[in-house]
Amino acid sequence: MAQAADSSPVLRRSTRPEAAAPKEPRIGFEGKMMVPGLILLAALSIVPFLALIAMSFSRVRLLGGVRLEPVGLGNWVRFFTDPDMWMSWLRTLIYFVLTVGLEMALGLGIALCLYRVLRARNILLSLVLLPMFAAPVIVGLLGRYLTDSTFGLYSWMLRSLGFSGDILGSPVGAFTAVVLMDVWEWTPLIALITLAGLSGVPQSVREAAAVDGAPGWMTLRYIVFPAISNVLLVALLIRSMDAIRYFDIIWVTTNGGPADATKIVPIRLYETAFRFFDFGYAAAIGLAMLAFSIFIARTFVRLLDTRGLTR
Amino acid sequence: MDRYPREPSRRDVLRGALATGASLTLAGGLSACGSRSDVVRTAGGDQWRQFKGATLNFISENTAPTAAIAANIRPFVDLTGISVNIVTLELTALVQRVALDLASGRAQYQVVYADPYQVLAPYQRGLVDLRSLQADPALPDLPGGITDFIPTQLDAAGRFIDPGAVYALPYDAPTMIWQYRRDLFDRYRSRMANDLGFDPTPGGDRTWEEYFEIARWFNKNATSDVKYGTGHQARQHDSLMNDFSNVLWSYGGDYFDDGKEVGRMGSRDPGPCRLDSAAAIAGAEFYNRLLGIADPASRTWDWDGVGAAFRAGQLAMCPNWHEYAASNEEVLPGKVDYAPLPKGPAGTANMYGGTGVAISANTLPHERGAAWLFLVWATSPQTQLANLRSKAGGGTPTRTSVYELPEVRAAEKRPSPMPNMLTAAAVRQAWQSDRIGLRPKIPMWNECNTAIFTQLSRMLTGSGSPEEAMRSIKSRVDRIVARGWVA
Repeated sequence: MAQAADSSPVLRRSTRPEAAAPKEPRIGFEGKMMVPGLILLAALSIVPFLALIAMSFSRVRLLGGVRLEPVGLGNWVRFFTDPDMWMSWLRTLIYFVLTVGLEMALGLGIALCLYRVLRARNILLSLVLLPMFAAPVIVGLLGRYLTDSTFGLYSWMLRSLGFSGDILGSPVGAFTAVVLMDVWEWTPLIALITLAGLSGVPQSVREAAAVDGAPGWMTLRYIVFPAISNVLLVALLIRSMDAIRYFDIIWVTTNGGPADATKIVPIRLYETAFRFFDFGYAAAIGLAMLAFSIFIARTFVRLLDTRGLTR
Repeated sequence: MDRYPREPSRRDVLRGALATGASLTLAGGLSACGSRSDVVRTAGGDQWRQFKGATLNFISENTAPTAAIAANIRPFVDLTGISVNIVTLELTALVQRVALDLASGRAQYQVVYADPYQVLAPYQRGLVDLRSLQADPALPDLPGGITDFIPTQLDAAGRFIDPGAVYALPYDAPTMIWQYRRDLFDRYRSRMANDLGFDPTPGGDRTWEEYFEIARWFNKNATSDVKYGTGHQARQHDSLMNDFSNVLWSYGGDYFDDGKEVGRMGSRDPGPCRLDSAAAIAGAEFYNRLLGIADPASRTWDWDGVGAAFRAGQLAMCPNWHEYAASNEEVLPGKVDYAPLPKGPAGTANMYGGTGVAISANTLPHERGAAWLFLVWATSPQTQLANLRSKAGGGTPTRTSVYELPEVRAAEKRPSPMPNMLTAAAVRQAWQSDRIGLRPKIPMWNECNTAIFTQLSRMLTGSGSPEEAMRSIKSRVDRIVARGWVA
């Protein structure tokens, strides 16, 4: 039996001396070159991430150096049973759908208009892009002044139309205002990306459609939209990631009020961490936000993948 | 041995660069983690110059007294040879920096503007008990002694639970009072008296109901002068809790049992919240009604907003912090006057928002000495007097002796070189122990406060009745207090 085994060609091959073959280093030159980068990545990202997970199961003491006191699932139980937190998630979702939806619709509309403009398109594009270059905090401050009931331009305009209330003083008004401020700032980005996509639509196909007598909406529906849908998807992905983290404008204009109407999850996370210094609970909220962001990103990436755009 | 020196290969160069980088990083890291050096102390000689050459960092809210101190720091530098860097921030940002600085175990900021509710109560263990420095014979004593501070303010801003220990010296004393357009009240007094059936002159005898009637009268009869009779700091913000609390207390409601003691000395376990009492609900109902006739923009104003609207001539009166007097006098000279807040069924309450200056417990021994010199100087009667005269702002003194000075007494009347002193008659009444409004000094106050002003904001926007708001606050505050506090 042993002899039979020895005579097996497979085993024979495995017992062949290998001294002659050059030994491959376990970590190649490229691998060694990547080590500092990997260490840096671990320091900046992986270690804090693990710390965040540990914090979400702990109570964090600050005085005399940061210390963690394990509390088991306490923070997570609180997270899932906190009705205020669920309201914040609901507001975040509504906010997300409204801002991203409006920005996509308006951005697309502006891009289509700009695409038809032949003269001075660059000047117009520069003007359209201006809001995008303002920092969100500046947009918030600007919005606050424009909606101020004493001297705000928008308040004055609304008053002349018969609106007697205060824009940021009512829950609906405040929510609408912060949504529109974000839309004002970021619609140009969608317009820019869409315009780039429109430039890639073959002119010959459009001309052929025109020769065939296709009306404008049919050209849009069957030629333009299919051609730019991938670009729109990328724009949607970029804006979605930003919309989930929206913070500055709300913080500057309403602080999350009135009546919590604009308190979306990032605002609640900030106040839990840096106003109440409840870092354990804040870590749980932060991890949930991260999971939500990953879910949204994966959804879009999967969509892009099915169209072969990630390859 | 090679005949010729070998040329270093690309790999050698990269390896060398990596090693150099790593060693530099390590050296930098180790030096950063190494022990800190204390400031040099010169034994003997002038007590005030023993820490000459030291540098202190003072972190403060962007308040008027600190603006005055910053503008007038030269005398301290000349006296001590100590440089002072002053960092001023909005209160929320200040609390964050202080908390993180205390957590770091190092004192980037040796001197801290210690808000009693957001810094002192939660982080009292991170602050130095100043008695140790006061008892040091090598350090200068407080001029006039610690008893020269207004007693209620010393307890509220400087102590926490332990009646002996002092963690902060009272540094500013903003207090909410009734600010009104004297010119308009003078013009309309007789008409108002006829229409309303009482003398509308603002003062401690007026009731909140009368305040309401006066505001409504202005809404109807003086629209050519002002848009609204009253305005409030009712944004979903700390300011809303302050504004509401004046009414709450005057109606006999309170946040906790023994609220005055919880406000004055503080507590780690204040017991159940009492905002569901009938008196508290009555106060909330009145406040809701009052805001119903106030400028609608009140729901977007904190103290800055209501102050600006008042100065812009939009309001006939408002409750606001007394230290806004200087700004009022600048814009509306001689047209504004001040009174204690109106009374309710249970009396008068005027919210006190004063703060002390403290020393971080992470400071090294000699740094503490230098910081103590700054505290002594910054709260001294001479400095407080200079602040009163400062063009850069300045609050009002926290020392009784300053109020007794003849020039300060004289400044209580117009024309006044110290415009904040025009409020003296009102705040003197407001600071009496039965009239001063002290919110709960508990470590978890920040979260409780957020629950309070959020539910109040819901009430003011019609999302819930006053009773629902009070009951909701009670249940939330009880939950927060039950979770306790770790720091």
